[in-house]
Amino acid sequence: MLTRVSAVAVKELWALVRQPQLLVLLLIGPVLIMTIFGLSLDVENILRPRALVVVEPGSEGAKLFQQYREEFTDRTQLVGTTDDSEEARQRLLRGEVDAVIVIPSAPLETVAGGERAVLRVVYDTINPVFGTRVPSRAYSLVLDLNQSLVQEAIAQELGGVRTLQERLNELNRRLETASSAAETLTSEEAQTTTAELDETLTTLESTLRLWQGVRPGEDEDVSATLQRIDSAQVTLDEVREAQEAGPEQIRERSGLADLRESLASLEEALASLPSNVPARVLANPFELKTENLASPPQVVGFYAPAVLAILIQHIAVSLASLAIVRERLSGAYEFFEVSPLGPGQLLAGKFFTYFGLVLGVNLSVALVLAGFLGIPIEGGFVEMTLAMALLTSASLGLGFLVSALARSELQAVQVSMLLLIASGFFAGFLFPLGQLQGPAVAISYLLPATNGISALQDVMIRGEGISGLDFAGLLLMASLTLGLARYLMGRKKA
Amino acid sequence: MAAIRIKNLSKSFGDAKVLKQTDLTVEEGEIFGLIGPSGSGKSTLLRILTGYLEPSDGSAEVFESAPAAFSPEARRRVGFMPQGFVLYEELTVLQNLNFVAGLYGLRFGERHRRVREVLGFVELWDDRRKAARDVSGGMQRRLQLAAAVVHEPDLLFVDEPTANLDPILRRKFWEEFEQLREGGRTIFVTTQYVGEAELCDRVGLLVDGTLVAVGTPAELRRQAFGGEIVHLSLGGEPGSLPERLRALEDLGRVEEVRRDAGGDDVVSLVRLLVEDADTALPNVMEVLSGADVRSLDVPKPSFDEVFFRLVKETGQVGLGSR
Repeated sequence: MLTRVSAVAVKELWALVRQPQLLVLLLIGPVLIMTIFGLSLDVENILRPRALVVVEPGSEGAKLFQQYREEFTDRTQLVGTTDDSEEARQRLLRGEVDAVIVIPSAPLETVAGGERAVLRVVYDTINPVFGTRVPSRAYSLVLDLNQSLVQEAIAQELGGVRTLQERLNELNRRLETASSAAETLTSEEAQTTTAELDETLTTLESTLRLWQGVRPGEDEDVSATLQRIDSAQVTLDEVREAQEAGPEQIRERSGLADLRESLASLEEALASLPSNVPARVLANPFELKTENLASPPQVVGFYAPAVLAILIQHIAVSLASLAIVRERLSGAYEFFEVSPLGPGQLLAGKFFTYFGLVLGVNLSVALVLAGFLGIPIEGGFVEMTLAMALLTSASLGLGFLVSALARSELQAVQVSMLLLIASGFFAGFLFPLGQLQGPAVAISYLLPATNGISALQDVMIRGEGISGLDFAGLLLMASLTLGLARYLMGRKKA
Repeated sequence: MAAIRIKNLSKSFGDAKVLKQTDLTVEEGEIFGLIGPSGSGKSTLLRILTGYLEPSDGSAEVFESAPAAFSPEARRRVGFMPQGFVLYEELTVLQNLNFVAGLYGLRFGERHRRVREVLGFVELWDDRRKAARDVSGGMQRRLQLAAAVVHEPDLLFVDEPTANLDPILRRKFWEEFEQLREGGRTIFVTTQYVGEAELCDRVGLLVDGTLVAVGTPAELRRQAFGGEIVHLSLGGEPGSLPERLRALEDLGRVEEVRRDAGGDDVVSLVRLLVEDADTALPNVMEVLSGADVRSLDVPKPSFDEVFFRLVKETGQVGLGSR
C-alpha cells in the first residue's frame, strides 16, 4: 500500500517540480504582495484624511482658523487653504484631497445672532465602510473646535466670576459703612465700583444664560443665581440712583439694606460656582482612558495571519479541487480504477504532496515576512506550524471534496474562486466575525479560513495557543471533507 | 481455461440499452479482437471487464472474479491500455512509467528492471528522459502500452490502440501484441479498423450492443459468405463446360459464370463457393482433370466486405457510419 501511495505522492511532486514557474509564483507572489502592501499602505491617510480648507482671507473665519489651526491638523492632514471653492471641489474630485472643509466667513457673528455656525465638510467616496472616516473625523474636528471655544469662554467667564466676587466684597465693605458715611458711598470711587459691578453682573448673566443653553435643565443652582442677579441688578439700579441723588437720599432709602441682603445672597451663590476649577476640566468633565488587553501590531502585522490563512486555503483548495476532476477528465482515473490503486491511496498520495508543498511554501512566506516586514510570530514557530498544518489539512479536504463533485475543471476553478471571495467576506478577513449575523455565521464556519485566521491571529499576534474551538473545528472539517471525498471517489458508476 | 467469461450481459444507461444479452468466452493466451463501429458498445463492454462499470444484468468474470469486486491481487493480473494518452505530459517517459510501476506495487529493484525491459520492448529507452509532451503521438501510445504491461499482466485490455496511427505504426503495435501473446498473455483488443480483425486469433463483431458473430477470421469470412470462394478460369471447348459445372456443383455452389472472349480464344470465368477451400481444392482439381484450367485462385475477401455482409445479415446496415 505504501508503495502505491508513495508512487502517487512522488508523481505529484514531480509534476509540481517540473512547473518551476508555479513554485516561484507560490513562494514569491505572497511575499511580494505583502511587501508592496506593507510599504504602500498609507495608514496615516486612513487616520487623518487629507483636507483642503476653504476660507475667505482676512475674514473672521480666517482668524478663527488660524487661532484653532491645531485642531484642524490634529484631525486631518492639512494640505492647504484656498478661497476658491470650485478649485477645491475639483481637487477633491481628482482625488488630490479627501475632504474640503469650508469655514464660514463670520462664524461668531452667526453665533451672536442666535444661530449655529456651519462648518461644511465635502467629501467624495462610494465606500460605505472606509468612506465614514471623513465625516467621522469632521465630527471630531467640530467637537474639538466647540470644546476649545467653550473652554476659552469658560476660562474668561470664570475670571469674571472671580472679579465679581472681589467687587462684591468691595461693595459690601462700602455698604457696611454706608449708613454711617453716606458720603463714602456717593464718592466717585464708589460710583465706579457700582458701575463695574453692574457691568460684571450683566456679563455674568449672559455667561450663565449661555451655560444654560449648552446644558439646559442640568443646573438648578444656575437658575437660582440668575434670579439673584436679576434681583441684585434691580437693587443696584436703586443704589445707583441714590448715589446720583447724594448722601441724604442714601440715608433716606431703605433699599440700601435690601441691596446688602441681595449682594450677600449673590455672594453666597457665586461661592457655589466652580470659579476655582480649571476651564479645561469644566469643558471636558470626563476624560477617556482606554485599556487594550492585547498588543496590536503594525497594520501589516495584523493582516499577515489573515493573508496567510487565506493564502493557505486558496492554494490548497485550488490544487486539490483540480486534482481528481483533472484525472477523471483526462482518462487517468479510469486507468487507476483498473490498477490496484484504491481511491483512498490516490487521495493519500496527493494529500501528502500537496500538504508538504502548501505548508512548506507558507512557512517560508511567514519566515520571510517576519524577517523583512517584522510580522509577529509571538506564539512561536511550532505553534504556528501546527495551526498552518491544521488549516492546510482542512483546506485540502475541502478541495478534494470539490474535485470529487465537480464535473469539469471550470466548475472546480469557479468553486475555488467562490470560496476565496466568500473567505474575504465571511472568514473575518475584511470584516470582524462578530459583526456577522444569522446565516452568514454558518457560512463562516464552513470555511477553513475562518478557524484558520482565528488560530493564526491567536498564535502570531496574541502569542497564545490555538483555541480548542479552532483546533476542533479544523480537525473536524479535515476529517469530514476527506472522508466524504474518499467515499465519493470510491462510488462505482451506475 | 477461460480468461473472460460473459453470460447474458446487458448494460443500460437510463433508457438506452448499450449492451444486449451478450455471451462471450475468451480463452487464455489468445488475441481476441472486438470489432464494431463507433458507438456499438465496445468501450462499455471493455469498461465492464476492467471493473470501471458494473453490468445492469447478467455477469462478467475475469479470471473467475467479478471485475467490479477485484481484489488488488486480481488487478495486478490485468493491464489496461486506454484509448487516449492518459499519463502526464509534464513528466518524462521514465517518470511516467515509474509512477505506473509504483501503482502496481513494483518495488524499487524490480521496478527498475521492468521499466528498463519494457521501455526497450516499446523502443523508448533512448527517449526516456524526454517529457511526454515532447514525444510524438505514436511514442505516447507506445508509452501507454508500456504502462499497461510494465507489471507483466496475464490479461491485457487494449482500447482502440491504433486509432489515428499511420499504417506502419499500426503494424508495429500488432507485432508487439503478437510478441505479448507469445509470452503467454491474453489480449482483449477493441478496434474499429475492420482489417485488423485478420490479425486476431478470434474476433467478435459487436453491432448496436449485440455480439452478432464470434469466431476466427476464417470462420467469420465463411459465415459472411456462406463458405470460401474459388475463382476458376477455364479455357477450351465451351461445349464441355456444362458438364464440368455440374461436377463442380457437387463440391460447392457455382455462383457465377462469365465468358470472356478475347479474339478466337474464349475463357469461362467461374466463381465457386465451397465450405472449406483447403479440403475442397484437391477435389476441384480432380473434377477438372483434363480441362484447360488457365488459373485457380482462392481470393480472401477483405474484412470490410466480411463485416459489411455480417452486418447486413443482422439487418443493421448503416450503423457503421454512426
